[in-house]
Amino acid sequence: MKRYAWALISTLLIIGTACSTSTTPGSGQSGGVGGGLTVFGNDPPTLDPALMSDTSAASYVVEIFSGLVTLDRSLKIVPDIAESWDISSDGRTYTFKLRKGVKFHNGREVTAQDFKFSIERAADPKTDSHTADTYLGDIKGVLDKLAGKAKEVSGVKVVDDHTLQLILDEPRFYFLAKLTYPTAFVVDKDNVESGSKWTDKPNGTGPFKLKEWRKGELILLERNPDYYLEPAKLDQVKFLLAGGSAMTMYANNEVDISGISINDIEQIQDPKNQLNKEFVVAPSLDVWYIGFNTEVPPFDDPKVRQAFNQSLDKDKIIAVVLKGLYQRANGVLPPGMPGYNPNLKGLGFDPAKAKSLLQESKYKGNLPPITFTIPSSSTTVDPVTEAIVEQWKTNLGVEVKIQQSEWATFLQDIKRNPTKGKKNNFQLYELGWAADYPDPQDFVDILFHSKSLDNNGAYSNPEVDKLLDQAKSESNSEKRFKLYQDAEQIIVNDAAWVPLYHGKSYLLVKPQVRDYTPAPMIIPNYRYVSLAR
Amino acid sequence: MAAYILRRLLWMPVVLVAVSFITFAVGQYGPGDPVQVLMGQKNNPEVVERIRKERGLDLPIHEQYFRYAWGVLHGDFGESYKYVGQKVSDLLISRVWVSVQLGAMALAVGVTLGMLFGLAAALNQGKWIDPLIVSGGLLLSSLPVFIVQPLLAFVLSRQLHLLPSAGWQSGLFGLGIFSPTIIMPVIVLSLGPIGGITRLMRASTLEVVTQDYVRTARAKGLPERAIRIHHITRNSTLPVFTVVGMSLAGLVEGGFISETLFGIPGVGRLAVESFFARDYPVIMAITLLVATAYIVTNLVIDIGYTFLDPRIRLR
Repeated sequence: MKRYAWALISTLLIIGTACSTSTTPGSGQSGGVGGGLTVFGNDPPTLDPALMSDTSAASYVVEIFSGLVTLDRSLKIVPDIAESWDISSDGRTYTFKLRKGVKFHNGREVTAQDFKFSIERAADPKTDSHTADTYLGDIKGVLDKLAGKAKEVSGVKVVDDHTLQLILDEPRFYFLAKLTYPTAFVVDKDNVESGSKWTDKPNGTGPFKLKEWRKGELILLERNPDYYLEPAKLDQVKFLLAGGSAMTMYANNEVDISGISINDIEQIQDPKNQLNKEFVVAPSLDVWYIGFNTEVPPFDDPKVRQAFNQSLDKDKIIAVVLKGLYQRANGVLPPGMPGYNPNLKGLGFDPAKAKSLLQESKYKGNLPPITFTIPSSSTTVDPVTEAIVEQWKTNLGVEVKIQQSEWATFLQDIKRNPTKGKKNNFQLYELGWAADYPDPQDFVDILFHSKSLDNNGAYSNPEVDKLLDQAKSESNSEKRFKLYQDAEQIIVNDAAWVPLYHGKSYLLVKPQVRDYTPAPMIIPNYRYVSLAR
Repeated sequence: MAAYILRRLLWMPVVLVAVSFITFAVGQYGPGDPVQVLMGQKNNPEVVERIRKERGLDLPIHEQYFRYAWGVLHGDFGESYKYVGQKVSDLLISRVWVSVQLGAMALAVGVTLGMLFGLAAALNQGKWIDPLIVSGGLLLSSLPVFIVQPLLAFVLSRQLHLLPSAGWQSGLFGLGIFSPTIIMPVIVLSLGPIGGITRLMRASTLEVVTQDYVRTARAKGLPERAIRIHHITRNSTLPVFTVVGMSLAGLVEGGFISETLFGIPGVGRLAVESFFARDYPVIMAITLLVATAYIVTNLVIDIGYTFLDPRIRLR
């Protein structure tokens, strides 16, 4: 029997040698393949436009599929498959004229019927879409269809092959912005009905086709030469899904574009650094904040909330802890967002006032124990949180306990569900919010309307609600933005949050990559890019 | 012996049911909800309710467990919660294949080099080379992966541009072992086995060289080379074989840290991802897979002992 053991060992030896011979090549994985671009990517949970809800999936879906309207690089809503549209005077009926000659990747022409199918499919409870309520719910009949009460969506009308009408329950002037989200994109019926793995071979309408998807390894997009707008210049875009150290891979020419971690930025910002010329900064449409649960003591008193606001020296935290890489937030909306108010008055840093506010509050400075919860799976507390708690201690004389909660648990605890009487379990928490569509409604209304389910802090002010309701049906966008700005100022004065900062993304882009403008939101971006090689 | 094997095999489903039920219960009673995680921050409680119902997550736990177990008995491990519409089995097979390729390669390199070093050390006992090999092996195998990986990446990728620093590529025949991306992880992952097997091999060789049959062989006047190959090496590899057997079950597990650092789409990374996403069907499948692998390997090793060492008898 010993012979078998020996045989096994010799086999192992042979494998070992085979391995060492295969180690010889492997030099310089230079850039992409065939004049393509190579970038990092995340393995998307799905490529189904009706099912996706995260940015990793969105970055592929917007390249492969498309919809009625889209966002250009300045985040303006621009025609896509619809070449024009008309909004009825009551603001309820949207009539879209579809471009002629728009084809799916397989060559079939897109008609209004395809949009009807796509919207009804997304709203079909069997599809299991969890974005349909948010992005299509304004269309008449979508909620009935989602609840299984209707076969068709009554608000979708096919006038002719190239005319589509969408009828809303109520006038909603952010509706077009919502249509830029992939839930409303067009899909091919035959493709979708070909089986549960249809997204392995998606038949989209976007500037790129999916050529290959090796799960966890790579996604390869290939130019769609028949694209109805100006076709992409790149032959292909290769997304490496496996991950690794971004900076090392960039320096080793394994990727053309890479994000930079906060620890590497300082050395790259140095003009003497070789990589300095390849350094690009882009705004990011988000806001990081400390939320107060206004339903529990002591944050049911606005004076306490104001005191917690004014005792924080945000500029110092940003300069020292965040190395100046973020921008201080005074309010809710990030710069670059339509409706952003540069003249908004923040509460500012004023420790003396903060202390007196605390004394004036109904707690007279005798606060109950306070726990500050942050979503984190780390074993150590991040330095920003430490700095915040330290400042409250020195500037306000309040001891705050830090509690870290893993994301899934955090989500469950923070979420309110008024119909079931579930409250937010936290007193004080740290969180961020990023734009899904470029409209102030996506921040101000969703986060602060007393009826909104995403209003985690249960903030409620009838005056704010009134302004927000008015804004929903205001057709003049200037007036509409003004209403949101007024609401935002009240929210800031009421200290519903401590707005902390707005993020930015820091990237390295190889010099041969032309016309790559990092967008603050996920938009079809690679069709503008070319390579100088 | 047949009775022994049968008895062990009969225990297998009992162990698997216990393991799967505990994992299932921990998932269900632990905090966090898969549908909420899937929807992220903007989860609407009504939609969460609807999707929970659609997936049967609102049923009592025993009912959910029986549904799951029934599916598994019919070869259906369900669909992933996170990777919408993807079958767990499809998801897992490709990941296991990656982890097995990497693990097997690292083990093969580790065992080969470990045996050679151990043998060299033992045969040079008393000379400077022996402590050098032993302490060198110990040092290398004590270095954690998160120190070795950045060092190697810095030197081999960033400075010398010899190897890709991370990632996974299916090269020739769709196999990752033919792609240069595997080299660095194999170097890092084989350090542990090299150190361990060197010491094991050295110890067992030293035991063998004092055996009577080696003295007899020398007395017969056999050439030293023949003695080393046929009498010493062959007999001293037996304990190594046991250790290798034990490590085989670990191959399907992959590595949590190494796979993340090297960007390798294996089981380890999938397990971590699935845990954070509360992707119960995937977590369950990985647990069952690893449990089965350990049970089977242990059994095979126990049986293997009887062939390797005639003194052992199973009853």
